[in-house]
Amino acid sequence: MKKNMYLKSVIMLSMFCFLSLSVAEARIKLVALPKRADTIIRLDNPQFTLIEEERVLTLQQGLNKVDFSWNGVSIDPDSIRIDILSHSDQVTLLNVSYPPNENALVWEISSAGAREEKIRVSYLLSNIDRLITYKSVADKAETQVNFKSHLILRNFSGEDFANAKVLLDYGESFEEGIRHEETKQLLFLKAGTVPIEKVWQWDSKKQIWDPEEVDQNVGIPVHYRITNTTDSNLGQNALWNGKMRVFQLDGHGSTILLGEDAVDLTPVGEDMEVYIGDSRDLVVTQRKMVDKQTNIRRNTSGRVVLYDNEEQVTAKIENFKDTNAKLKMVQHIPGEWDMHSCNFEYKKENANTIEFEIDVPAQGKAELVMHYFRRNIRN
Amino acid sequence: MKVKLFFLVFLLVPGVSLAKVDLVTLPQRDHVQLTIYNSADLTLIKESRSLTLKEGFNDLQFSWVNTLIDPTSLEMLPLANADQIDVQSLTYPPLLKNVGLWHIRSSVSGQVPFEISYLTSGLSWRAFYLGTLDPDEQEMRLQGFVRVQNNSGEDYEKAQVRLIVGTVHVIDQISFLANRQHPYGSPGIINFEREHWGGGEDYDADALDMKDAIDETFYALADAESFREEGEMRTPKKIIKEGLSEYFLYTIEGRETVPNGWAKRMPSFDVEKIPVVNLYKYEEERYGSQVVRFLSFKNDEDHQLGETPIPGGMLKVFRQVDQEKHLSYEGQSGFKYIPVDEEVELNMGGVQNVIVEPTLMDYQSANYMFDRYGNIIGWDEIREYKIKLKNTRPIPVKVEIKRNIHNSKWAIQNQGDVGTYEKIDADTVQYTIHLTERENKEIVYALTTFHGRRADYQ
Amino acid sequence: MKWIPLVMCFVLVSGGICEAKVDLVSLPSRDSVQLTIYNSADLTLAKESRSLTLKEGFNDLQFSWANTLIDPTSLELVPLTNADRIDVQALTYPPRVKNLGLWNIDSGLSGQIPVEISYLTSGLSWRAFYLGTLTPDEKEMRLKGYVRVLNNSGEDYENAQVRLIVGKVHIIDQIAQLAQRQYPYERPGIYPAAQPEVHSKRSRQDVRVMKSVMMGEGIAFGSVAPMETKEIIKEGLSEYFLYTIEGRETILNGWSKRLPSFDVASVPVVNLYKYEEERYGYQVIRFLSFKNDEDHLLGETPIPGGLLKVFRNVDAENHLSYEGQSEFKYIPIDEDVELNLGAVQNIVVEPKLMNLKTENFMFDRHGNINGWDEVRTYKMEVKNTRQVPVEVEIKRNFNALKWDIHNEGAEVKYEKIDANTVKYKLALQSKENKTFQYTLRTFHGRRGDHK
Repeated sequence: MKKNMYLKSVIMLSMFCFLSLSVAEARIKLVALPKRADTIIRLDNPQFTLIEEERVLTLQQGLNKVDFSWNGVSIDPDSIRIDILSHSDQVTLLNVSYPPNENALVWEISSAGAREEKIRVSYLLSNIDRLITYKSVADKAETQVNFKSHLILRNFSGEDFANAKVLLDYGESFEEGIRHEETKQLLFLKAGTVPIEKVWQWDSKKQIWDPEEVDQNVGIPVHYRITNTTDSNLGQNALWNGKMRVFQLDGHGSTILLGEDAVDLTPVGEDMEVYIGDSRDLVVTQRKMVDKQTNIRRNTSGRVVLYDNEEQVTAKIENFKDTNAKLKMVQHIPGEWDMHSCNFEYKKENANTIEFEIDVPAQGKAELVMHYFRRNIRN
Repeated sequence: MKVKLFFLVFLLVPGVSLAKVDLVTLPQRDHVQLTIYNSADLTLIKESRSLTLKEGFNDLQFSWVNTLIDPTSLEMLPLANADQIDVQSLTYPPLLKNVGLWHIRSSVSGQVPFEISYLTSGLSWRAFYLGTLDPDEQEMRLQGFVRVQNNSGEDYEKAQVRLIVGTVHVIDQISFLANRQHPYGSPGIINFEREHWGGGEDYDADALDMKDAIDETFYALADAESFREEGEMRTPKKIIKEGLSEYFLYTIEGRETVPNGWAKRMPSFDVEKIPVVNLYKYEEERYGSQVVRFLSFKNDEDHQLGETPIPGGMLKVFRQVDQEKHLSYEGQSGFKYIPVDEEVELNMGGVQNVIVEPTLMDYQSANYMFDRYGNIIGWDEIREYKIKLKNTRPIPVKVEIKRNIHNSKWAIQNQGDVGTYEKIDADTVQYTIHLTERENKEIVYALTTFHGRRADYQ
Repeated sequence: MKWIPLVMCFVLVSGGICEAKVDLVSLPSRDSVQLTIYNSADLTLAKESRSLTLKEGFNDLQFSWANTLIDPTSLELVPLTNADRIDVQALTYPPRVKNLGLWNIDSGLSGQIPVEISYLTSGLSWRAFYLGTLTPDEKEMRLKGYVRVLNNSGEDYENAQVRLIVGKVHIIDQIAQLAQRQYPYERPGIYPAAQPEVHSKRSRQDVRVMKSVMMGEGIAFGSVAPMETKEIIKEGLSEYFLYTIEGRETILNGWSKRLPSFDVASVPVVNLYKYEEERYGYQVIRFLSFKNDEDHLLGETPIPGGLLKVFRNVDAENHLSYEGQSEFKYIPIDEDVELNLGAVQNIVVEPKLMNLKTENFMFDRHGNINGWDEVRTYKMEVKNTRQVPVEVEIKRNFNALKWDIHNEGAEVKYEKIDANTVKYKLALQSKENKTFQYTLRTFHGRRGDHK
């Protein structure tokens, strides 16, 4: 591939040694234009992209001026660093001058002798970044997925990179060229088979209580839970946030799309939850059957100052599927409360949220009955 | 001279009106010193020039077209024979802008060195820092720089550059004084314009025009001279730091030439290995529900610093990722002036790799009190919190969690085994937790707050 | 593909991008196409298989999709054989070219390789549609289901295997919007704005252009060809149902096609009438009720939501009368269905407040009222003016949290629905009237304290 043939850098490094030139003139009459050698595009910081490029300067003994200028790209001038690589004890950066009204700076470099010197210039470049996308293909039984991740490299910086080493905060680097306005998709992580847990989740704050009252279907959100551990063939690093598309093998040599979700950054050991779609084969109908004040305390004028509220909530869960389903039910009870009776075990997530895991047999039903008192309600 | 500062000295025999005819000498600037402030747009300039005086009365004309000099700050002092030379008056002649006329009575004749000083705006400096963490983030190389910017309209060549760290009190903006029609205004219009000196934009426009007038040859020559001496290895100029009154004075070694419009960055200090602490803070009221990363160190000898205060500025932090000194960008933080022995905490912004998750696990109220009318006059609220801490980084970190209690009377009972809290003020406590690499911990505590009359008994 | 202008081309390129258009090696045609069309979102998964001629070493493949509604971020190429020796290294979207992707393939062998190319596209859709025919006594209904597939994708799909997905997928980006971005993944720092609901005008224009080209060439194909009844195979996959239409279908851009899905001769139905003031106002709503189960000759698969038009056989000659239409939602297996056919006047429900009194007043020590009861007696008159038996459901909501109820009238059954709702259920024979009465006592103020 001859990608770099028509590339011309917009970031220029030029060099001049002057004996009799003023600063202003010197900037025009450049002596050498050192070629860009190894270039690194470092994408480990989601907000900033750091470019490192190595160049070889031909230095004269004494004072040398090196001009770094850019045009049509956005560089944070304070982020520009120069590191002297080969003879750092004999080559010294004296100061940096910034010419007026120009995207440029001039380094004054002193050298103990005439020599070739390798330097590394680093800077933060805007409008070049990366995205992460995921693709999972589930088996028909929905117990595992084939998991892979792509790196999307987007370069809209104004600069063409003929060949660069693209680095993330982990994983192997890519040797890639990327031109201005080019987008590139690279396979970045291939985990192979990753076990999943399928979870149906009903949340009393998010879902409609009585599906009969509405004209559209009320679905129960379905999630795939992927654990970022070595047991799952993952667990090497945090999984970045990005968009995941989930497919499923259809048993006929093809696939269907199950859904897509924007997943959050998932540290090692944590779960990634992917919302794939809504189930219409589980139906939850929740109703408040009792709602009344008790233990009323009044002041001497008869005004209620303190009371408890007795509430009974029933949730009927119907499973129309051929298979058993485990429904995660999230119930919210505000304020201070205590449970009088409940026919299922629950886990307290926080003071006002409890979670149930309710097994509903294939083509069967389950009914949750919670009877609780909200205590010490002050008027 | 290509610059807009014309310094013309006239020896006048009869009067001012003849001045333009009978000029005698045109003295050069021998030496110039710039003392640049960063808390205000203000620079003190001192130049020394040699004048040829005659015995008797001498008139000297000084003009400063297209500069940003404050005419009211002009001063002239003889550096020799001070008792025999009397600078009697300074006149701003009518109908002429940016011209001053000194009336000098001399008892001596011949060459006399003078110092002319004035304040100008348009020169500025700022501190700027580069930090480079080592791979395990235990130490940081800290490089300090000063960046001097010249937008004054005047080229200063081979000037001694001094920088002032500290806040001075000024009542008039120099750029406003420089742009007044009359040096001290005119009677009846008392400081009316000062209300509007935000109109510095006006002078900026002028400053831009000035650039056109720059005659480049002078500097071409000046630079040629300075570069002719090159050839041997040089080291960056040192910056000498000393305390003066409430300020710190940084004097840049040798002479600098900063043409108008240019800026120049010079190294101020370079400390190789400053021990730093990776500090992560969590405080909902201040940072929301995110963990904020800080780099912390102290401006003292233990940290290879502590000789002088560190002027406020922007620090860009990189991390060295391998032996080949490749870098990764960690973030940036602006900080304010750091006195000697002061602890520094550089805010590097919100992170996702250290996690703090507080959860209210239980809430109850109890111990209700009623008055004789049956109204509630006091009660307790008991809240149980669980705070999950997670360090997903491969290095140890320190986490500070501040909890604000929105009530003045309270009690805390710790139930976990991760140490106790420290009381910061009447209604704030802090837990300080050290996490090793990839470690998780949990804090559990019960907070009881006393309300109404219940608070009276605590 | 001979009828259509080339909207999708596939080029094997051996040089760089710039030479691509000159130095093309092979232009493989589509061997087969499979379309999986969704109806909960404007989304179709297309898979095509093609044969590529690869050389050993690096191969660049160019794929372009001008004037289609393809989501470029969904493109994928998978070798169907020798997968271990063929490495698809990168997919590049070159600068300043729209609707073009370039695959870099490192091949360990040379020769013909079958590959699968898949992508998501918008513009294809399907919907379910139903025709119901009631028997004269309205006890049974013949139910015919159809699916209608519409192609506005900008691309002609011929001899495609067509599959339909019933179910609600979660998507975070509209495919139509992804298809029209200036750059496949946008540019850094630009966050996609709120997504437009439908395709932009541009895509519609493209579609229109495509259509006129087709018509200009005088092609009338596919939907007017004689149509044999094809079977639709239904199977469950995850939370969805997959309907696979037997054989191959050709659906040209701009055309749509209706296919029969099922036909059940006599589904037992119930004429159900509902009355609930808070929901329907002071009118009676007619429902047709049945269950998606074996007893009703259904129950094999869920029934996708759609519009049902209901007719009634009025005589032996099968003359029809139009009864109404109902849009219904997805019906899982074993679920009860209630099809809302709208308000009627031939069933009458009239609640009348017959008596109101207050009693049991309570006073505080200052003599102010702080508790009382309200007692209301309602008479409910229910009339069936129709020739057929009907069921009537009446829901009554109370504003008070504390209440009790006494019913008068022998065969009245009621059910407590929630804390302040009860439901009465009545079965009426043809032309039958029924009346029942109930007394509702609500407790107010301190009278409610101990109830």
